[in-house]
Amino acid sequence: MSDANVKELGSSSIQRLQVRPLTKVVFAASIVLIGVGAAPFFMDAYSVNVLVRSMIYAAMALSVDILWGYLGVLTFGQSAFFAAGAYATALVFTYGGFSPEYAFAAVLIGMAVAVALAGLVAFLAFWHGASALYASVITLVLPIVVTQLLFSGGTYTGSSSGLTGFDTIPLSTEAWFWAVGVWLVVLTTGAWMYTRSDAGRLLIAIRENEQRCKYLGLNTSKIKALVFLICAAIGAIAGWIYANYTMVVAPEIAGFTFGTELLIWVALGGRGTLFGPVIGTIIIDYASAHLQGDFPFVWKLVIGIVFVSVIVALPRGILPLVSNAANWLRGRTRKAQPEQYSQLQLCKAPRIERNIVVAGPALVVSGVEKRFGSLEVLSGIDFEATYGEIVSLVGPNGAGKTTLMTCIADGSKRSGGTISIGGQDIAHRPPEECVRLGVGRKFQMANVFDTLTVGECLQIARARLDPLSKWKKSGVCQLPPSALHVVRATGLHSDLDVPAQLLSHGKKQALELAMVLALEPKVILLDEPTAGLTKTERTLIGTILTELATTEQLCILLVEHDLDFVRDISSRVIVLHQGRIVLNGSVDEVVNSELVKTVYAGSGH
Amino acid sequence: MVPVLLDIITTAAILYIVSSGLLLVFGVMKLINFAHGGLLTIGGYAAVIATALGLNPWIGIPLAAVFGGIVGFGMERVVVRSLYNRPLDAILATWGLSIIIGQAITLVFDRGVHFAEPPIRGVISILGEPYSTYRLVLTALALLLGLGLTAALRGTSLGLSTRAVIMNEDLARGLGINSGLVRSITFTLGSGLAAVAGALITPLSSVDPNMGVAWLISAFMLVLVSGSSLYSLAFASVVLGGAQVIVSNYFGSVLGGMTIAALAAVILRIRPQGFSYE
Amino acid sequence: MTEAVLTVNGLSSGYGQATVIRNLDLQIASGEIVAVVGKNGMGKSTLLKSIMGYLPKFSGSVAMAQHPIGDSRPHEIARLGVAYVPQEKALFQDLTVEENIRLSLRGSVSWNDAKETMGRCFPFLLRRLQQKAGTLSGGEQKMLLMARSLAVEAKVLLIDEITEGLQPSIISNLVKIIKTERDRSGLGVLLVEQNIPFTRAVSDRYVLLDKGEISGSGNTRDPDTHEKIAAHISL
Repeated sequence: MSDANVKELGSSSIQRLQVRPLTKVVFAASIVLIGVGAAPFFMDAYSVNVLVRSMIYAAMALSVDILWGYLGVLTFGQSAFFAAGAYATALVFTYGGFSPEYAFAAVLIGMAVAVALAGLVAFLAFWHGASALYASVITLVLPIVVTQLLFSGGTYTGSSSGLTGFDTIPLSTEAWFWAVGVWLVVLTTGAWMYTRSDAGRLLIAIRENEQRCKYLGLNTSKIKALVFLICAAIGAIAGWIYANYTMVVAPEIAGFTFGTELLIWVALGGRGTLFGPVIGTIIIDYASAHLQGDFPFVWKLVIGIVFVSVIVALPRGILPLVSNAANWLRGRTRKAQPEQYSQLQLCKAPRIERNIVVAGPALVVSGVEKRFGSLEVLSGIDFEATYGEIVSLVGPNGAGKTTLMTCIADGSKRSGGTISIGGQDIAHRPPEECVRLGVGRKFQMANVFDTLTVGECLQIARARLDPLSKWKKSGVCQLPPSALHVVRATGLHSDLDVPAQLLSHGKKQALELAMVLALEPKVILLDEPTAGLTKTERTLIGTILTELATTEQLCILLVEHDLDFVRDISSRVIVLHQGRIVLNGSVDEVVNSELVKTVYAGSGH
Repeated sequence: MVPVLLDIITTAAILYIVSSGLLLVFGVMKLINFAHGGLLTIGGYAAVIATALGLNPWIGIPLAAVFGGIVGFGMERVVVRSLYNRPLDAILATWGLSIIIGQAITLVFDRGVHFAEPPIRGVISILGEPYSTYRLVLTALALLLGLGLTAALRGTSLGLSTRAVIMNEDLARGLGINSGLVRSITFTLGSGLAAVAGALITPLSSVDPNMGVAWLISAFMLVLVSGSSLYSLAFASVVLGGAQVIVSNYFGSVLGGMTIAALAAVILRIRPQGFSYE
Repeated sequence: MTEAVLTVNGLSSGYGQATVIRNLDLQIASGEIVAVVGKNGMGKSTLLKSIMGYLPKFSGSVAMAQHPIGDSRPHEIARLGVAYVPQEKALFQDLTVEENIRLSLRGSVSWNDAKETMGRCFPFLLRRLQQKAGTLSGGEQKMLLMARSLAVEAKVLLIDEITEGLQPSIISNLVKIIKTERDRSGLGVLLVEQNIPFTRAVSDRYVLLDKGEISGSGNTRDPDTHEKIAAHISL
């Protein structure tokens, strides 16, 4: 078990590569900043004036893109947070007058209100069992409620006409342009570095497969809520700038229509690209301001038509199209190079002191029941499994095998009975907490993050134990020996930069197994790990599992239809039939059982 | 007390009329048609056209059905069909269609408010209280609509196929039902119903290019709470519409305006399947 | 008995990227009953779903008589005369018995013809026409399923593990009905099974399916049928 060959991977280039992206970012940001500094000298006052507003909207679009493009939360309600910041400012200045202290207080109040509102939304939208559609519905209700509240404020909030005529930070249009421009560049750069970092990949992982993230021990609700709160705060700051700059607030800025307009800009620019939404918003809003005078309705009609076409035909928006075209042009002169700094170094994780008593049973299932309404799927399931054991669950379709797996990996699923892992009761813990107790679950259909690379998938799997960097790619992934072994034995170490969706079916299965092992579980649940694999692949997986059981003292519970495979690797077999255990014994006992033959061959000879 | 009760009943009826088309589309296609508001607006303008041409105001209603049906049929063919597997994108794309409808109407008419001649004017005395005759007529129409839709779904072979597609589309296909055709017909019908609703509510609300938006949100919430059953839609209309009337009466119409959305959000949080009994 | 009603030629198919059925050849003659036997997870249901057009065919072809149905959609395949009995969720539980049957009728087959078929095969259904399918017992539901697929007067019948959870008496009744109807109309039947006694009683020919490939076949009347199938599907 030498790690030499693994360490070599990418290590030669690591030094150079870690510095480079940061320098590049700083360089690019500086150029844009110089542009921002120079722009007012080359434009007429009206354009500068319009562009300040466009850049404020672009910051809003950026926050929507983080939520929708990266995290996968389609939000209609970002406008409400904008309004929170804007109205806080307008109210403070209207009733308290302008002062620098009040301006500072206003931004804090605006952010506090926005974060409080976002907290309520997050509580409703992201907590246990809420669907993606429901989350969107809640973000749609939010602007409606906020708009009505603003109306119901009567003269205090200016009702339908809003508030005007308050004094604000006294800056010239050019100064606003520079201030907002710098803010937008800093914000975009920060967002870009975050989304490209290891932690940023986690957002994509959640969007792609939230269930898998939960079963990797990650509290996705919390992560989603946190990102949502941060975006709400960004929205409130944008609102604060808006009120200071325009000196007008009206209920429309809180509305569903504005919330949806932000989505349109993001979709047109290219969701999940950050630059697309920012540039797209600036172009569209700037063009609107100029064209709306001449062709007021035709312009919006064109935007509508383009928007629908983009959603239907170019779901990724216009920016990727432009960059693809640019790449294609460059490709004619220079061969496209793989992204250099995405290379990853695998290394062995320091062994965690296992505070477990290897003597006791690893898994105890007693009296477990599962009912769907009146239908009883599992009843009276009792069995134990110890460390180093491979227990196979077999039985005809509908016997309840996968249901039993689910009950072990998710404490909230069973209807009765108790389950303990390494001596600890799983009670009603959700999957991410069951992982903490030492359960690792591999699903039936390979369940990985399709658009992430193999290396990124492994890093996400380690996120629970090794916190991810929030601003860069660490370039390192520490794995326990068991996971390293799987990665090497199946040749995945040479695919670290390959997106998971391009892997063969067999390698995907192996990747998921390695991800589960990266959790350093005590008990692993494997649902048909050999389904769809070739004979060679089956044998390889079988060998690996047997080795893991003996060298790592893992307790492996296996659902399997391929009975040859079961016979080869199991230390014990449990036969389930119609939700009950009909036999729990050695491979020989089960193979020779008349009862089992009857179960499999159908009733009545 | 009597006016409040009458308000509850008639509000529920109006909500039912406005939502039934959206429910039909959602039930069959599992897809939320955000162009519903735009289609509603088309119906409103159909009534305006009828008035402008000096026709009997009742003519506006079949006119709306025809306009809505044609536009809906086209939308399904060109846009919606390719988004069946992308439900969240479908929401956005249909919202975009709604914008297109709104802008096209603005180009043809203008941004201003129009009025359509109401089919029935005046009040009728109920237990000594005068009450709008038209709202009562709408209640009767809502009942007729509910009974008609139920009869169509139960009694016709297309209705049976539609119900089969709602319950289990794969199985329906395996039995030889062309679910694509069923979807197309449903979307056309749902769009027609939306436009009819738009024409029917013109006496109650002014007609402008954005008249559909507020109704869309209410209809959307009602449909989410009702699942895909016309019965639960009736129930949801009474409960949420009733709550809206009561809140408006005692806390002002502004808070009344957010009652349906807020209440629906809470109901769905507690019971994700809403009022449907599954 | 010579003309093939269903021909599967070099078919490979599966879910997403996973190939489940590999290069499979199979022919069903008019009036022939063929059983596909294999353990769970060997691709039996996948085979039927691929033929029916629910799953993409990666390569190979499927034809009804001479008419290729490779890229047709499920409803088109059904209309060409294939009746499919899925293993799960095969009935509309909230629809009545009558509605369940009426749904599948098309073309020349009238409701009266369907009632005649029911009267011949499962007369009890005629007394329960207005009952919701979901309120029938498990065995009755299976009989309704069979009635539905026989009523459409198809040329090919695809049956996915109809015997699962059924009493022996009902199974033997099904055997009788399937054979009688086959003799009446020259129907070709492809059934997927794990139940040995049923397979032996009903089919003319069997093929063994192993990891998506045919690993053996035989005439059901051969004396070693039981042993061969038992060895194939048990541990």
